[in-house]
Amino acid sequence: MTLVLNNIKKKFKDHTAVDTISLTVEKGEMFGLLGANGAGKTTSFRMILGLLDPTEGTVTWAGERLSYKRTKLIGYLPEERGLFPKLTVKEQLIYLMKLKGMKKPEIIKEMKHWLDRFQVPEYENKKIEELSKGNQQKIQFMAAVLHKPELLILDEPFSGLDPVNSDMLKAAVLDLQKAGTTIVFSSHQMQNVEELCEDLIMLKQGKAVLQGNLREIKRSYGMKSISLRADYDLQFLHSIPGVLKIEFNKNGATVKVENETVAEQIFRAISEKGFVRKFEVDEPSLHDIFIDKAGGDNID
Amino acid sequence: MTNFWTTIAHTAGRRIKSKAFIFATISMSLLVLVLVNINNIIDVFSNESSQEKDTIAVVDLTEENIGEFLESQTESRFEYILHLDGDVDSAIEEAVNNQYNYVLTVRGNLEEIEAEFYGSGNDFMIAQEVHQDVQRVKESLATNELGLSEQELALIYTPIVFDEFPLQEGGEVQTMESHMQSYWMVYALVFAIYIIVLTFGSMIATEVATEKSSRVMELLVSSINPVTQMLGKIVGIGIAGMVNLLVIAGAALIGTYISGEDTFRFLIDVIDISLIFYALTLILLGYFVYGGMAAMLGALVSRAEEVNQALQPVVFLAMIALFISIFGLNTPDATFIQVLSYVPFFTPQLLFLRIGMGTIPTWEVILIFLILLISAILITILAARVYKGGVLMYGKFSFKEGMKQAFTLGKKES
Repeated sequence: MTLVLNNIKKKFKDHTAVDTISLTVEKGEMFGLLGANGAGKTTSFRMILGLLDPTEGTVTWAGERLSYKRTKLIGYLPEERGLFPKLTVKEQLIYLMKLKGMKKPEIIKEMKHWLDRFQVPEYENKKIEELSKGNQQKIQFMAAVLHKPELLILDEPFSGLDPVNSDMLKAAVLDLQKAGTTIVFSSHQMQNVEELCEDLIMLKQGKAVLQGNLREIKRSYGMKSISLRADYDLQFLHSIPGVLKIEFNKNGATVKVENETVAEQIFRAISEKGFVRKFEVDEPSLHDIFIDKAGGDNID
Repeated sequence: MTNFWTTIAHTAGRRIKSKAFIFATISMSLLVLVLVNINNIIDVFSNESSQEKDTIAVVDLTEENIGEFLESQTESRFEYILHLDGDVDSAIEEAVNNQYNYVLTVRGNLEEIEAEFYGSGNDFMIAQEVHQDVQRVKESLATNELGLSEQELALIYTPIVFDEFPLQEGGEVQTMESHMQSYWMVYALVFAIYIIVLTFGSMIATEVATEKSSRVMELLVSSINPVTQMLGKIVGIGIAGMVNLLVIAGAALIGTYISGEDTFRFLIDVIDISLIFYALTLILLGYFVYGGMAAMLGALVSRAEEVNQALQPVVFLAMIALFISIFGLNTPDATFIQVLSYVPFFTPQLLFLRIGMGTIPTWEVILIFLILLISAILITILAARVYKGGVLMYGKFSFKEGMKQAFTLGKKES
């Protein structure tokens, strides 16, 4: 059971929202879909779900096209949260899960289980509009997973959550993955992606700018980050070619350089100048890579 | 298919269980119950006064003493009292002082009787009935004068037998009775369709727009085909509306039953059973034509507040259909009615008008029905496609742009 996107493209009039991307997500994998706002993440999700048809290319799950006949295999947490504000938690989960082919007693059993897990069993008969945003989010998550989908799509699952709830949700996502659920998710919070994903794709204006295994990407990524502490002014480093950016902080400076050769040059330059208290070359954080790849156009 | 029924049950169930629906249904039923029995209720309140007839002071200045004959008219609605002592002025004065209700003067002789009526209030029927009373007295006096026997009188007053037949065999001729039957049926149906389109149409559109604005729509269409969902909604709201109408109709029947035989018989007179089949079929098809459009327009807006604006084209169509039909009640065979009855938006009203009020060949009925059926299907398909794209669209409402965009979004590509 593999999710395969084969050269999919979506055009809206003169604007191409998603431009020829391909990816494969194996069963039980957690896959990250990254990109700035408007990069084409939601459009990609909608194509995976079959809400939109690709202009070109195909989307298959276990070798077949996803259609409404197989809707119970998929769970979806949309970026724009939405439930029936006037219905109680129980009423709407019953309706939404019936649409996924579940029977009422089963729905109620699962609902109670999840409400207990999220420590909100008292919400069963509360209307959605009476709940706080964070708690609505929990119900929204339940609406995506109650029917035990094989493929779970989470569009910005952690946005707007406090750290406690965010961790609670993260734990739930990891448990689902352990149970064999294939998960594709998007997030702006790179820290979450680093914690959860093995593989990822990064989109910029609909095109894949980065794709593959997270660890390998970081290792092979040319850009390096140097943590530096010395007893003298480091401003002169700006003059070395290949230095991208220097951030000064109270512990010294973080220098972003194009590649390892530049790092060596810096090392030589500062050792000539005097004593160095700290010199450490790190792989870049996903945050740095994101800003480098998906950020402004000036770096292109 | 399961999801289709789930949606119907959800849509209809939520509506029927809502307080607003229950309140509206009960209050409408009570209102109908009261209206049907309005005569009985008025009778209860005006019981005592109805025993006493209105009194009319008669100032008799005729040679034949018509006043006396009027006084002996027991069948009349009024009690005629001869005002012997005095003239017109004093009678009027006493009437003003509430001793009489009205004043009537009669003068002249049998060949030329002049009557004057002094009345008040706003019931114009009173003077007419008094006029008839005087006329009747004059006629019986005249026949008396001529010395006519019972047989001779009967000869004058027995009504003639008057039958109507169609000119061609198998043709039709409108009798007064069947004309009135059809007239009221058509009138009722035309109004029913208008009200159904306005209320149900706005219910459908509002429901769609509300689900869009609460953003639950995206979740729904990830589980259920938007086309199935749209049809489920249209049917579900139709069922809720039917429940509402059935309860009100039930109340009307119970009310008629309570109010007694007369109203019941009137109802049976008014309803032409043979037309009911046409009426129901046309309402059903009309519901899908207009309901599909309402769902489509509801899917184009982002917020429930914009629904009314978006629905305007549908409302205008329904209004135009209403005006044409009411105008057409008097000229059912006019060419423009015939032509317009082929236009699907007007067919439900105008075809029924033509079947009920005029003569229409069978082949035309079948042809128009087919056109309506095919249009209902086409409109549903078009609506479904716009709906599919529209439910994912958010932004400012513009009919033209929205349609174009939704149409492209809903397009099947592969």
